[in-house]
Amino acid sequence: MGEDGESPKINHSFLRDYVTEADVISTVEFNQTGDLLATGDKGGRVVIFQRETESKGEPEELGESGEYNVYSTFQSHEPDFDYLKSLEIEEKINKIRWLPQQNAAHFLLSTNDKTIKLWKVSERDKRPEGYNLKDEEGRIKDISTVTSLRVPVLKPTDLMVEVRPRRIFANGHTYHVNSISVNSDGETYLSADDLRINMWHLDITDRSFNIVDIKPANMEDLTEVITAAEFHPQHCHLFVYSSSKGTLRLCDMRESALCDKHSKIFEEPEDPGNRSFFSEIISSVSDVKFSHSGRYLLTRDYLTVKVWDLNMEKGPVETYQVHEYLRSKLCSLYENDCIFDKFECVWNSTDSVIMTGAYNSFFRMFDRETGRGVTLEAWRESSKPRAVLRTRRVYTGGRRRRGDVGVDSLDFTKKILHMAWHPAENIIAIAATNNLYIFQDRVNAENL
Amino acid sequence: MEYKVEAHRIMSISLGKIYNSRVQRGGIKLHKNLLVSLVLRSARQVYLSDYYSGACLNAAQSEREGNEWDITDSEREKFPPSTTECDRIESSEEPQQNERPEKEREYRENDDEVKSDQADCTSTLQQEQKQNSSLDSVAKVSSETPPETIDEPKESPSVSTVAESDSSPEADGESHQPPKTHVCSNRKRSAEKTESGDLPQKRTKVASSNAKEDEEAEEMDTSNVSNLITIFGSSFSGLLSKDGAKPESEAEDSGQICCDQMLKNLNPWSTAIVAF
Repeated sequence: MGEDGESPKINHSFLRDYVTEADVISTVEFNQTGDLLATGDKGGRVVIFQRETESKGEPEELGESGEYNVYSTFQSHEPDFDYLKSLEIEEKINKIRWLPQQNAAHFLLSTNDKTIKLWKVSERDKRPEGYNLKDEEGRIKDISTVTSLRVPVLKPTDLMVEVRPRRIFANGHTYHVNSISVNSDGETYLSADDLRINMWHLDITDRSFNIVDIKPANMEDLTEVITAAEFHPQHCHLFVYSSSKGTLRLCDMRESALCDKHSKIFEEPEDPGNRSFFSEIISSVSDVKFSHSGRYLLTRDYLTVKVWDLNMEKGPVETYQVHEYLRSKLCSLYENDCIFDKFECVWNSTDSVIMTGAYNSFFRMFDRETGRGVTLEAWRESSKPRAVLRTRRVYTGGRRRRGDVGVDSLDFTKKILHMAWHPAENIIAIAATNNLYIFQDRVNAENL
Repeated sequence: MEYKVEAHRIMSISLGKIYNSRVQRGGIKLHKNLLVSLVLRSARQVYLSDYYSGACLNAAQSEREGNEWDITDSEREKFPPSTTECDRIESSEEPQQNERPEKEREYRENDDEVKSDQADCTSTLQQEQKQNSSLDSVAKVSSETPPETIDEPKESPSVSTVAESDSSPEADGESHQPPKTHVCSNRKRSAEKTESGDLPQKRTKVASSNAKEDEEAEEMDTSNVSNLITIFGSSFSGLLSKDGAKPESEAEDSGQICCDQMLKNLNPWSTAIVAF
């Protein structure tokens, strides 16, 4: 591109970097087959991507994975106002969860801070043609022009995706909803806010069961809040919830109607050597996920990801440092609010790899078998389609290699909070602010 | 000393966050405010512990301040009029610790040490310490449960603005000569144990997400601050009139400005306060 060196160029790059707040992606989720990928953003919109199969009906060759294209977009939640408390309710989509597919339509749950909605996503690719009384445009025909009768036939038409709200689960929560989780029974789901967890039936919107309530009688005695909750993938009576104190509680709904008393509590004693002003903040668990096997739990706190065995409560079985170099910078991270960032964590399909996000558009993958971690980057300029992602490194001492990034030059505005891993294949979806990156593992490519 | 500056800075930042959270879209986030209040509490502990170990106080100024602490009438009689501000603050918090006569001895000894050290005194330092302690008292006075506070012999250091006196006496004790440290350090350890054992009582006065409670809690903070400003304008005699006064919502706006003033007073030499 030839540039005229004489005339001063106005630098428009800031426009490219400017991101509308409403476009920031706030949640990413694959459905159970991995064919559909839903993203929610701060503006209350949901965008569904569908994987294109190379040739429908024929078995796909290994490595010939389809790409994801936009399937449907709809406005899930609108900004709302609570008149009693004079509070604005954000339309930001906090979580999306797909229901297991039972018929041709797809169902998903999406939630903002207060209201959960069940959406039906259905396709229409045929339409009836050949009406007797209406013409092609729908206008009523003049009766006198009708000379014969015919039966309308269904003709294929352009694919139309219809999304309709089927249920609205409102007024269930006083505090901000942070998680939803569909039960393996296919009929119920839970929604968790800061102090309570409710269980709903998918068909009943005017009632919900409260199964956990940690609100103290006197709010001044509050010491911890619920940060995430999830049902066990196989056992419909078990669920886990994490707290801001870094504890996990496994609850069995068969024990009692109100599961305030946990069946198991998983916590790791704090390392007194690492005590600082911010110890409590960095021990708060931001995400918890059951493994696909149901045997392990994955948790994310500010600096680490931990794998817990459901059979061992006294501590995690594996701990991985995500960005330990930030430990000395906690004060600045507190000032710029980054210390409150809630990172998500995900398992791969075989529970052998775990992944989580970091800053500077970096995300980390850890191989559980070798214990090794790798840093990858989700950044447009360094990722061309079909290019192999190269590993990155944050320089923390020792020999500095070319391409290493210094801790002080990390961009803390580029944070990878939300991500998803395909349920069966090595395809990952990474949300980086307002961009969605989808990385696929080729057969030939090195698998970590 | 640097811990003190650091703690102070963290406190200012935390206060700024709490105030900002009230105007944030989407309502007050309970989780974030809870965490901020925890940090605020830890910073205050460190700050006050450092205050008693490294503070240098101007006797004359503190005496003037001390005379205006109306709530500590009974305690003040125990102390000679020439005691320093350190003493005043201790005495103002004495109502809560009726069972700790040993501390008074320590405070007096500390005063003697401190009186001789005039090198690094600045009036702003005292003012800030005075403000901090008066914030304590103001908060206590306008606290919803003053009887509880007073009767409790051993409180865990709870919400930033309420009853931080536990930590200060212990830390104060620690800074003394060895003969007393073992007594004080025991107390500090036990206080810490209490802290970890009990649920801190008023931890989330500012962090309850129920909007109404939140509004009240934070209005209480702003009313404390606005009270503070009016008090400094009209001396501490105004303190008693604020007893049990419930904050009003229009205090919020003045709360913003007052907090600004208070923070400016607290930190005149630093540009760290960018909360507003």
